[in-house]
Amino acid sequence: MKKCMTLIAAAALLGSTALAQADDTKVGVLMDITGPIASFIPPLQNAANLAVKQVNDQGGLLDGKAVAIYGDTTGSAQGAVDAAQKLANVENVPIVMGALMSGTTIAAAEAVFIPSGIVQISPTATSPAMTDMKDNDLVYRIVPSDNFQGQVLAQMVLDQGIEKVAVTYVNNDYGVGIGQTFMDAYRAAGGEIVAEVKHEEKKNSYRSELATLAKGGADHLVVIAYAGDSGGKIVKQSIEGGLFSNFVGTDGLRDELLIKDVGAEALKTSFFSSPTSPADNPAQKTLHDAFNAEYGEGADKAFVDQTYDATFLTLLAIEKAGSADRGAMAAALRDVASSPGEKVGPGEWAKAKALLKEGKDIDYDGAGGSYNFDANGDVSGLIGKFVVDGDGYKQIAIFE
Amino acid sequence: MTELSGLFFYLVSVLIAGGIYALLCLALNIQWGMGGLFNAGIVGFFAIGAYTSAILTTPETAKHLGGFELPIFAGLIGAAIIAGVTGWAVARICVRLKSDYLAMASIGIAEILRLVIVNESWLTNGSLGISGIPRPFGEYTAGRPADLVFLAYVWLIVLIVYLVATRLYNSPWGRSLRAIRDNEASAAAAGKNVERFRTQTFVIGCAFMGVAGALSAHYFRFLSPSATDPLLVTFLVWVMLMAGGSGNNRGAIVGALGIWALWSVTEIFTNRLPPEWATRSSFIRMLLVGLLLQYVLQKFRAGILPEKSPPLHFEDEAERPAPEK
Repeated sequence: MKKCMTLIAAAALLGSTALAQADDTKVGVLMDITGPIASFIPPLQNAANLAVKQVNDQGGLLDGKAVAIYGDTTGSAQGAVDAAQKLANVENVPIVMGALMSGTTIAAAEAVFIPSGIVQISPTATSPAMTDMKDNDLVYRIVPSDNFQGQVLAQMVLDQGIEKVAVTYVNNDYGVGIGQTFMDAYRAAGGEIVAEVKHEEKKNSYRSELATLAKGGADHLVVIAYAGDSGGKIVKQSIEGGLFSNFVGTDGLRDELLIKDVGAEALKTSFFSSPTSPADNPAQKTLHDAFNAEYGEGADKAFVDQTYDATFLTLLAIEKAGSADRGAMAAALRDVASSPGEKVGPGEWAKAKALLKEGKDIDYDGAGGSYNFDANGDVSGLIGKFVVDGDGYKQIAIFE
Repeated sequence: MTELSGLFFYLVSVLIAGGIYALLCLALNIQWGMGGLFNAGIVGFFAIGAYTSAILTTPETAKHLGGFELPIFAGLIGAAIIAGVTGWAVARICVRLKSDYLAMASIGIAEILRLVIVNESWLTNGSLGISGIPRPFGEYTAGRPADLVFLAYVWLIVLIVYLVATRLYNSPWGRSLRAIRDNEASAAAAGKNVERFRTQTFVIGCAFMGVAGALSAHYFRFLSPSATDPLLVTFLVWVMLMAGGSGNNRGAIVGALGIWALWSVTEIFTNRLPPEWATRSSFIRMLLVGLLLQYVLQKFRAGILPEKSPPLHFEDEAERPAPEK
């Protein structure tokens, strides 16, 4: 009897398929929900759900509703491949948003999505390895590769007339990715790197690293690390020790916390690079208002904009293709993301659907940028140059 | 129709991952089930095997050591050798430790190996990982049918390792090993060189763990430190062996397949929870997995297929004169 009940309950759960109707279209959402970046995820799930909800409130997807099917990578390659297999084979999704970490994104793509011909669009994976993947035009992302910020940073430093620097970067995919490209680009353009030190996170003292860095006699120290961790301590300890007073940082260091720690006065000769939106992007405000109206708060959390945009783009691609046919997704995605076409912003699903129905071309400009994919499925994005201004940062130039 | 073929390929994927776990379980069964060695650093040897095979088989690149482009079978053998040699070095140092101390030491060693992999980027490309790892017969197959070829490849190796492990278990060598496991002092008194037996066991187990790592790398086609999560390698493999039946090779395979299927299939159910549960369903799944594991471990204390010592054969029993009283 008990067994019978369990079986019935299980069958009911499986059969319900989230009460999906025959006309509904599934879209895959692969996220690193449990595991090392679990704390980032709840607002991002809200962002993806918001996109799906707006679509369903404004006429739905194709002839039915959109249904988001989640996969959890558990933050590991094994979990990513397993979750991807379920999205591809059990749920039969035509297109997937995700994953968030570079390692899980690439493993899912290489082992599952590329062989099954499913388009994947990551909102946050920045690994340079994704650029040269042999992906049959199936893997996309809407953040610039780490290579891009490294190259722009090199140009920024040289434009400032600095021809000799010391470099230190944190030993993870962020630090190594940007650090290596920065050094290659800087050397190639004639700059001289007098000392380079890769450092570990979560140490209390970086004085021995700083002693090595100071030996080369450079006036400027390039720090590619997080302000809340090693980056902040390195800046603080080099000022205390009188080793460096001019710093060049990336978005990890460009944090109000740094100003609080060392004071604006000590940073007045320093500058920072960071991915940026076009100045005063109204689409971002539209999204943040809708997000906070729905969930109360959290619109300003990291990667909410990108996750929403990536989810919205997958839905637009299905609508553009006119069916859930996997083979049509890549072309449709490129079409709805790039110009030319009538501009569509976050939340404007009804408008987009009407335009597509008339056979017009659309171009989605999201909260995080306008996303024109290059041949590798990468976007270039914009990098801003920031200096300290009072308690915050001021953008003084935009590089493309 | 697409639904059915989809379910079929999902089953294939569960069997591929299950096969890799079966290899790890067989390896652990040699170490723990037969030799009583508490290795809690499985992931370290798994990672060595994975990186060795990846480096040996990938084309040349400036990002990490490589450019050997050896055939995949050579990569697997290389993985077994390097993991085995590392296992030998580790065994020389800590195999004499009593079981729980060996567990502590091996956790530490696995962590050291992981840090070496993350930091020596000339060798492994560090946290950015190795891409473009080939699959066996990858040049002849593409798309989803390639998974079928890989499935056959994995299970062929599982079969080989199973036969080797069974032969070892039934051999006089295996009997001595179980004697050492059950009573070290009396085995030593009977003239068995305890340390040498334990070292051999440890090395053989580590070599097979290396092969499992190598197969994972070829399955994922991309290898980064995200594939070396101790939760999904070390601890899950221990649970599989305990559930399947430690000391029983068939039990090791059954445990690996059963627990991996449990781990994987639960997500299909939690995805069907009402949408307002969406942000929690992944955590509910972890809870569900934990509960089911508790149930299996409580219900089958000695494992689903418990250890059964092989019958003793005395071939010349008939001719031998009855012992005099």
